[in-house]
Amino acid sequence: MTVWQQIADTAGAVLVFIGAAICLLGVVGMLRLPDVLSRSHAATKPQTLGLLLVLAGVALRLRGGMDVATLALIGFFQLLTGPVAAHLVARSAYRTGQIERCELLFDDLDAQLTEIQDAGPAQEPGRRPEDGREGGGEPGQEPGPAPGPSRS
Amino acid sequence: MSGPETVDRVLLTAAVVIILVAGGLLLVRIARGPSMLDRAIALDVCAALIIAGLGTKSAFARDSFYFPIMLVLAFLGFTGSVGIARFIAVRDRPRPRRGPAGEEGRR
Repeated sequence: MTVWQQIADTAGAVLVFIGAAICLLGVVGMLRLPDVLSRSHAATKPQTLGLLLVLAGVALRLRGGMDVATLALIGFFQLLTGPVAAHLVARSAYRTGQIERCELLFDDLDAQLTEIQDAGPAQEPGRRPEDGREGGGEPGQEPGPAPGPSRS
Repeated sequence: MSGPETVDRVLLTAAVVIILVAGGLLLVRIARGPSMLDRAIALDVCAALIIAGLGTKSAFARDSFYFPIMLVLAFLGFTGSVGIARFIAVRDRPRPRRGPAGEEGRR
Protein backbone atom coordinates (compact mmCIF):
# COMPACT_ATOMS: atom_id res chain seq x y z
CA MET A 1 0.00 0.00 0.00
CA THR A 2 1.53 3.21 -1.09
CA VAL A 3 1.52 6.44 0.78
CA TRP A 4 -1.10 8.03 -1.44
CA GLN A 5 -3.55 5.21 -0.93
CA GLN A 6 -3.09 5.55 2.80
CA ILE A 7 -3.68 9.29 2.55
CA ALA A 8 -6.86 8.71 0.52
CA ASP A 9 -8.09 6.20 3.08
CA THR A 10 -7.58 8.55 6.00
CA ALA A 11 -9.06 11.50 4.13
CA GLY A 12 -12.11 9.36 3.31
CA ALA A 13 -12.52 8.38 6.94
CA VAL A 14 -12.26 12.02 8.00
CA LEU A 15 -14.89 13.02 5.43
CA VAL A 16 -17.24 10.28 6.61
CA PHE A 17 -16.77 11.47 10.18
CA ILE A 18 -17.47 15.11 9.28
CA GLY A 19 -20.58 14.06 7.35
CA ALA A 20 -21.85 12.08 10.33
CA ALA A 21 -21.22 15.07 12.60
CA ILE A 22 -23.22 17.29 10.24
CA CYS A 23 -26.02 14.73 10.31
CA LEU A 24 -26.04 14.96 14.10
CA LEU A 25 -26.09 18.76 13.94
CA GLY A 26 -29.08 18.73 11.62
CA VAL A 27 -30.97 16.32 13.86
CA VAL A 28 -30.28 18.51 16.88
CA GLY A 29 -31.68 21.42 14.89
CA MET A 30 -34.77 19.37 14.12
CA LEU A 31 -35.23 18.75 17.81
CA ARG A 32 -34.79 22.31 18.95
CA LEU A 33 -36.34 24.51 16.28
CA PRO A 34 -39.96 25.45 16.91
CA ASP A 35 -41.71 25.49 13.56
CA VAL A 36 -42.38 23.28 10.56
CA LEU A 37 -40.55 25.59 8.20
CA SER A 38 -37.53 26.03 10.45
CA ARG A 39 -37.42 22.29 11.02
CA SER A 40 -37.47 21.85 7.28
CA HIS A 41 -34.53 24.25 7.12
CA ALA A 42 -32.65 22.13 9.62
CA ALA A 43 -33.59 18.91 7.83
CA THR A 44 -31.81 19.87 4.63
CA LYS A 45 -28.39 19.74 6.27
CA PRO A 46 -28.20 15.96 6.71
CA GLN A 47 -29.96 15.42 3.41
CA THR A 48 -27.52 17.34 1.26
CA LEU A 49 -24.24 18.32 2.89
CA GLY A 50 -23.89 15.48 5.36
CA LEU A 51 -24.86 12.82 2.87
CA LEU A 52 -22.60 14.22 0.13
CA LEU A 53 -19.64 14.32 2.52
CA VAL A 54 -20.28 10.72 3.54
CA LEU A 55 -20.55 9.64 -0.09
CA ALA A 56 -17.32 11.48 -0.97
CA GLY A 57 -15.59 9.73 1.90
CA VAL A 58 -16.84 6.33 0.75
CA ALA A 59 -15.71 7.12 -2.79
CA LEU A 60 -12.25 8.03 -1.50
CA ARG A 61 -12.01 4.76 0.36
CA LEU A 62 -13.30 2.41 -2.34
CA ARG A 63 -11.76 4.10 -5.41
CA GLY A 64 -13.28 1.79 -8.01
CA GLY A 65 -14.80 3.25 -11.14
CA MET A 66 -18.12 1.47 -10.82
CA ASP A 67 -18.37 2.26 -7.13
CA VAL A 68 -17.66 5.94 -7.63
CA ALA A 69 -20.24 6.09 -10.43
CA THR A 70 -22.88 4.48 -8.20
CA LEU A 71 -22.08 6.88 -5.37
CA ALA A 72 -22.36 9.86 -7.72
CA LEU A 73 -25.74 8.53 -8.84
CA ILE A 74 -26.88 8.22 -5.22
CA GLY A 75 -25.88 11.82 -4.55
CA PHE A 76 -27.56 13.00 -7.72
CA PHE A 77 -30.86 11.33 -6.89
CA GLN A 78 -30.74 12.63 -3.34
CA LEU A 79 -30.22 16.17 -4.61
CA LEU A 80 -33.02 15.64 -7.13
CA THR A 81 -35.68 14.31 -4.79
CA GLY A 82 -34.97 16.38 -1.70
CA PRO A 83 -36.41 19.71 -2.93
CA VAL A 84 -39.56 18.01 -4.23
CA ALA A 85 -40.46 16.64 -0.83
CA ALA A 86 -39.44 19.85 0.97
CA HIS A 87 -41.53 21.96 -1.40
CA LEU A 88 -44.63 19.83 -0.98
CA VAL A 89 -44.30 19.68 2.79
CA ALA A 90 -43.80 23.45 3.09
CA ARG A 91 -46.72 24.13 0.80
CA SER A 92 -48.95 21.80 2.76
CA ALA A 93 -47.82 23.46 5.99
CA TYR A 94 -48.75 26.84 4.57
CA ARG A 95 -52.13 25.80 3.33
CA THR A 96 -53.14 24.06 6.51
CA GLY A 97 -52.06 27.07 8.54
CA GLN A 98 -49.32 25.50 10.59
CA ILE A 99 -46.82 28.31 10.27
CA GLU A 100 -46.43 31.55 12.18
CA ARG A 101 -47.59 34.15 9.73
CA CYS A 102 -46.42 37.07 11.82
CA GLU A 103 -42.82 35.95 11.55
CA LEU A 104 -42.70 35.83 7.77
CA LEU A 105 -40.81 38.66 6.14
CA PHE A 106 -42.18 38.05 2.64
CA ASP A 107 -45.40 36.28 1.87
CA ASP A 108 -45.90 36.02 -1.86
CA LEU A 109 -48.14 32.98 -1.70
CA ASP A 110 -50.72 34.92 0.31
CA ALA A 111 -51.30 37.41 -2.50
CA GLN A 112 -51.56 34.62 -5.04
CA LEU A 113 -54.07 32.69 -3.00
CA THR A 114 -56.12 35.85 -2.49
CA GLU A 115 -56.09 36.54 -6.22
CA ILE A 116 -57.29 33.04 -6.95
CA GLN A 117 -60.06 33.41 -4.45
CA ASP A 118 -61.10 36.81 -5.83
CA ALA A 119 -61.09 35.58 -9.40
CA GLY A 120 -63.53 32.81 -8.86
CA PRO A 121 -64.52 29.92 -6.67
CA ALA A 122 -61.73 27.89 -5.24
CA GLN A 123 -60.91 24.58 -6.77
CA GLU A 124 -61.30 22.62 -3.62
CA PRO A 125 -64.33 23.54 -1.61
CA GLY A 126 -63.08 21.94 1.56
CA ARG A 127 -60.13 24.25 1.72
CA ARG A 128 -61.88 27.46 1.06
CA PRO A 129 -62.83 28.75 4.52
CA GLU A 130 -59.27 28.40 5.70
CA ASP A 131 -58.00 30.43 2.76
CA GLY A 132 -60.63 33.05 3.24
CA ARG A 133 -59.76 33.47 6.85
CA GLU A 134 -56.07 33.70 6.19
CA GLY A 135 -56.26 35.77 3.06
CA GLY A 136 -58.37 38.44 4.69
CA GLY A 137 -56.03 39.47 7.46
CA GLU A 138 -52.89 41.44 7.02
CA PRO A 139 -49.78 39.38 7.56
CA GLY A 140 -48.55 41.61 10.31
CA GLN A 141 -51.58 41.64 12.52
CA GLU A 142 -53.04 39.04 14.73
CA PRO A 143 -55.68 37.00 12.98
CA GLY A 144 -57.56 36.47 16.20
CA PRO A 145 -60.50 34.19 16.58
CA ALA A 146 -62.05 33.82 13.18
CA PRO A 147 -65.57 35.23 13.11
CA GLY A 148 -67.05 33.59 10.08
CA PRO A 149 -65.78 30.15 9.20
CA SER A 150 -65.73 27.37 11.64
CA ARG A 151 -62.58 25.46 12.26
CA SER A 152 -63.03 21.88 11.44
CA MET B 1 -2.32 -3.10 11.94
CA SER B 2 -0.40 0.08 11.46
CA GLY B 3 -1.15 3.43 13.01
CA PRO B 4 -3.16 5.14 10.26
CA GLU B 5 -5.32 2.04 9.85
CA THR B 6 -6.24 2.29 13.50
CA VAL B 7 -7.05 5.96 13.06
CA ASP B 8 -9.36 5.13 10.16
CA ARG B 9 -11.09 2.45 12.16
CA VAL B 10 -11.60 4.74 15.14
CA LEU B 11 -12.98 7.53 12.94
CA LEU B 12 -15.43 5.24 11.16
CA THR B 13 -16.60 3.68 14.41
CA ALA B 14 -17.16 7.15 15.84
CA ALA B 15 -19.12 8.06 12.71
CA VAL B 16 -21.36 5.00 13.15
CA VAL B 17 -21.96 5.91 16.79
CA ILE B 18 -22.79 9.52 15.86
CA ILE B 19 -25.26 8.39 13.18
CA LEU B 20 -26.92 6.02 15.64
CA VAL B 21 -27.26 8.81 18.21
CA ALA B 22 -28.73 11.07 15.52
CA GLY B 23 -31.24 8.35 14.61
CA GLY B 24 -32.28 8.03 18.25
CA LEU B 25 -32.81 11.78 18.56
CA LEU B 26 -34.78 11.69 15.33
CA LEU B 27 -37.06 9.02 16.78
CA VAL B 28 -37.81 11.44 19.61
CA ARG B 29 -38.88 14.03 17.04
CA ILE B 30 -41.01 11.48 15.19
CA ALA B 31 -42.67 10.40 18.41
CA ARG B 32 -43.58 13.84 19.69
CA GLY B 33 -43.82 15.80 16.46
CA PRO B 34 -46.92 17.92 16.83
CA SER B 35 -48.17 17.49 13.29
CA MET B 36 -47.85 14.92 10.56
CA LEU B 37 -45.71 17.32 8.52
CA ASP B 38 -43.03 17.27 11.20
CA ARG B 39 -43.04 13.50 11.02
CA ALA B 40 -42.84 13.64 7.23
CA ILE B 41 -39.72 15.83 7.38
CA ALA B 42 -38.27 13.58 10.06
CA LEU B 43 -38.86 10.54 7.87
CA ASP B 44 -36.96 12.23 5.05
CA VAL B 45 -34.03 12.84 7.37
CA CYS B 46 -34.36 9.24 8.54
CA ALA B 47 -33.88 7.98 4.99
CA ALA B 48 -30.82 10.21 4.65
CA LEU B 49 -29.43 8.84 7.91
CA ILE B 50 -29.97 5.25 6.74
CA ILE B 51 -28.08 6.04 3.54
CA ALA B 52 -25.26 7.62 5.54
CA GLY B 53 -25.09 4.64 7.88
CA LEU B 54 -24.94 2.16 5.02
CA GLY B 55 -22.24 4.29 3.40
CA THR B 56 -20.23 4.24 6.60
CA LYS B 57 -20.58 0.48 6.79
CA SER B 58 -19.43 0.18 3.20
CA ALA B 59 -16.45 2.42 3.94
CA PHE B 60 -15.61 0.32 6.96
CA ALA B 61 -15.75 -3.04 5.21
CA ARG B 62 -14.64 -1.77 1.77
CA ASP B 63 -17.38 -3.57 -0.07
CA SER B 64 -20.04 -2.23 -2.40
CA PHE B 65 -22.72 -4.72 -1.49
CA TYR B 66 -25.16 -2.16 -0.09
CA PHE B 67 -24.88 0.41 -2.86
CA PRO B 68 -28.08 -0.63 -4.68
CA ILE B 69 -30.00 -0.32 -1.42
CA MET B 70 -28.63 3.19 -0.93
CA LEU B 71 -29.58 4.02 -4.51
CA VAL B 72 -33.16 2.84 -4.07
CA LEU B 73 -33.45 4.74 -0.77
CA ALA B 74 -32.18 7.93 -2.38
CA PHE B 75 -34.58 7.46 -5.26
CA LEU B 76 -37.74 6.49 -3.40
CA GLY B 77 -37.22 7.93 0.07
CA PHE B 78 -39.20 11.04 -0.68
CA THR B 79 -42.42 9.33 -1.73
CA GLY B 80 -43.51 8.77 1.84
CA SER B 81 -43.30 12.42 2.82
CA VAL B 82 -44.90 13.48 -0.45
CA GLY B 83 -47.82 11.17 0.25
CA ILE B 84 -48.17 12.50 3.77
CA ALA B 85 -48.02 16.10 2.59
CA ARG B 86 -50.51 15.56 -0.19
CA PHE B 87 -53.10 13.32 1.37
CA ILE B 88 -52.84 13.09 5.13
CA ALA B 89 -51.81 16.54 6.34
CA VAL B 90 -54.82 18.18 4.71
CA ARG B 91 -57.23 16.02 6.63
CA ASP B 92 -55.30 15.73 9.86
CA ARG B 93 -55.20 19.07 11.65
CA PRO B 94 -53.67 18.39 15.01
CA ARG B 95 -55.03 21.39 16.89
CA PRO B 96 -56.65 24.74 16.26
CA ARG B 97 -53.86 27.15 15.65
CA ARG B 98 -55.30 29.97 17.69
CA GLY B 99 -58.11 29.00 19.97
CA PRO B 100 -60.66 31.49 21.20
CA ALA B 101 -58.99 31.50 24.61
CA GLY B 102 -55.73 32.77 23.17
CA GLU B 103 -52.56 31.35 21.84
CA GLU B 104 -51.77 27.74 22.29
CA GLY B 105 -48.40 26.32 23.01
CA ARG B 106 -46.66 25.23 19.87
CA ARG B 107 -44.54 22.42 21.21
